Amino acid sequence: MSADQLVTTEREVTAPAVVRKRRSLARPVLNVFMIVIGLVFLLPLLWLILASFNPSADGTLAMPHPFSLLNYHLVIRAGAGAAIRNSLYLAGVSTVIATAVSTMAGFMLARRKIRFKGLVLVLILFLTGLPITLLLIPTYQIFVHLNWLNSRFYTSLVLASMSVPFSIWLLKNFIGQVPGEFEEAAAIEGASEISILFRIVIPLIIPGILVAAILTFINSWGSFLIPLVLDANPSDTPGAVGIYQFMSANGQVQFGQLAAYSVLFSVPVIILYLISSRWLSGGFSFAGGVKG
Amino acid sequence: MAKIVLRRVTKSFGQKVAVDDLNLEVEDGEFVIVVGPSGCGKTTTLRMIAGFETPNMGTLHIGGTVMNHVPPKDRNLAMVFQNYALFPHMSVERNLSFGLRIRHTSKKEINTQVHEIAEMLDIRPLLDRKPAQLSGGERQRVALGRALLRKPQAFLLDEPLSNLDAALRTQMRFELKRIHAQFPVTTVYVTHDQVEAMTMADRIVLMNHGELQQVAPPETLYAEPVNVFAAGFIGSPKINLVSARIDHSGGGSALRCLATAIPVTTEIADQLRSAQSQTVTIGIRPEDILPQSPMDDAPGRAVISGTVEVIEPLGAETHIAVRVGDDILTCRTPPRSGLEMGSTVNLSFDIEQATIFDGTSGLRLC
Repeated sequence: MSADQLVTTEREVTAPAVVRKRRSLARPVLNVFMIVIGLVFLLPLLWLILASFNPSADGTLAMPHPFSLLNYHLVIRAGAGAAIRNSLYLAGVSTVIATAVSTMAGFMLARRKIRFKGLVLVLILFLTGLPITLLLIPTYQIFVHLNWLNSRFYTSLVLASMSVPFSIWLLKNFIGQVPGEFEEAAAIEGASEISILFRIVIPLIIPGILVAAILTFINSWGSFLIPLVLDANPSDTPGAVGIYQFMSANGQVQFGQLAAYSVLFSVPVIILYLISSRWLSGGFSFAGGVKG
Repeated sequence: MAKIVLRRVTKSFGQKVAVDDLNLEVEDGEFVIVVGPSGCGKTTTLRMIAGFETPNMGTLHIGGTVMNHVPPKDRNLAMVFQNYALFPHMSVERNLSFGLRIRHTSKKEINTQVHEIAEMLDIRPLLDRKPAQLSGGERQRVALGRALLRKPQAFLLDEPLSNLDAALRTQMRFELKRIHAQFPVTTVYVTHDQVEAMTMADRIVLMNHGELQQVAPPETLYAEPVNVFAAGFIGSPKINLVSARIDHSGGGSALRCLATAIPVTTEIADQLRSAQSQTVTIGIRPEDILPQSPMDDAPGRAVISGTVEVIEPLGAETHIAVRVGDDILTCRTPPRSGLEMGSTVNLSFDIEQATIFDGTSGLRLC
């Protein structure tokens, strides 16, 4: 072995050892840092859960003594259940409408030759950036004109329209990933456009549709300003507005009841995540359909 | 079944002309293979017949009806795609029956037909599987089955064997020929593989740069290519193309090439007079060049001498590449020819068996 080769070999052996030592120090420091960051985010959640079982909760983090469901009992009696049902209605209807419209629009924009398609897509992208406060006054005027105020259904239409531009972009990109041969194969077998969409494209992009639907649902679920302005009917009050009204209703803040209300308001979204996680983690699979 | 007719069909994508003024008639029940190099317009032609592309000019008739603007779903055609295009979320059974279900065929009828076709293609045990659980050959058979099941007016096949290994490809070539004999449906098959074209087609459609070069049965295309491109594309090993000068001086006419002068008959000499220039290209098939010992007499045959550069023994035959001046000639010889690399060999060929092309236009002179 030559001297040059020996030098090279020594360098190769020593260099990784230094890197390994640095790495061995960096790893625990990074872990501690991440644990601290995690705790910063977890502590408010922990407070929320503990306070919801504590009838005399205040702003401090403390174990409830004794554990009690009184806060839950009181907020349900105060109308939290009805408010959550209203939220479910608004979020559910807007999700169904927005997802259906976006899937069909996304399909056409992804697959068909449309005049000024680029311009249409840029306009849709522009719409995703518009703040709700900008649209609320003209929307309110339209609602007054059409006599649509104080209606859960029409309010959910507005909520749907808020999510449609982003969902169209999202689904257009998902549909664009489906190999065109599937649609051509279906077309030559005699399938119409609508049949191709429902029998071929939609089953292949279910995870993508679920992502769009969940994002719409969460947007609508947490929506505050639109239902507050467009639907003043007390029996239509959704959860987000309900919490706000509950907070200021009793003169002083009831921390325990507020926490219980918040936990109840979060449960449907958590359940939705749990149910759909199986499909969301699956991703798209075109395996076997086309030679990859 | 239906006759397919393309009349003066042109298709461009922007400035690029993919298919240029194509005239083609595919007879009822005929098996036609469109062949050519990449980008020659063969797939575009097939996609126009299928309805995925609309011609910019010309008319397309299927079964006597103009189909230029008829959508694919209403053309009653079946297509096998290069990449199978099996629906990955459906079982083999549902893939096969897709077209029938779209047409609201009764469940009983679907069941009978699916099982018949599955039996014929030997895929019955696979009916409950998804495409991802099948091998390449099985997927290809399912794709074929889906096309066959509907009894369409015509079959369109876009390089259906290109993703299979060599052994499976040979097997599927037999299968396709057998199936076509059983169901003589009009078939347009696109491939870049001239072996597939030669072995399966009733007629071959040869294309290059979007233009039709020649339409002929495989034997005719091989023996009588209309131009240098057709001669060079068809045949394996490739035809030997040698540039030569026409020499009408002296008593008779001769072709000067390969460091020799090859005398030609008066009949050939007359045909050479129509050449646009004094240069021609001689095409000699490898099987028409025979190596011989230097002592052998070859009356009426041109004899040239060269050096063996490469020997390729293939078992049943051997291919040898012989350098003659600047040219390399390939000869197909029997096995165990006894030749060695670097050795000198005499080659003889009959100029009357060769094909002579115009040096300028590339068209066949004789």
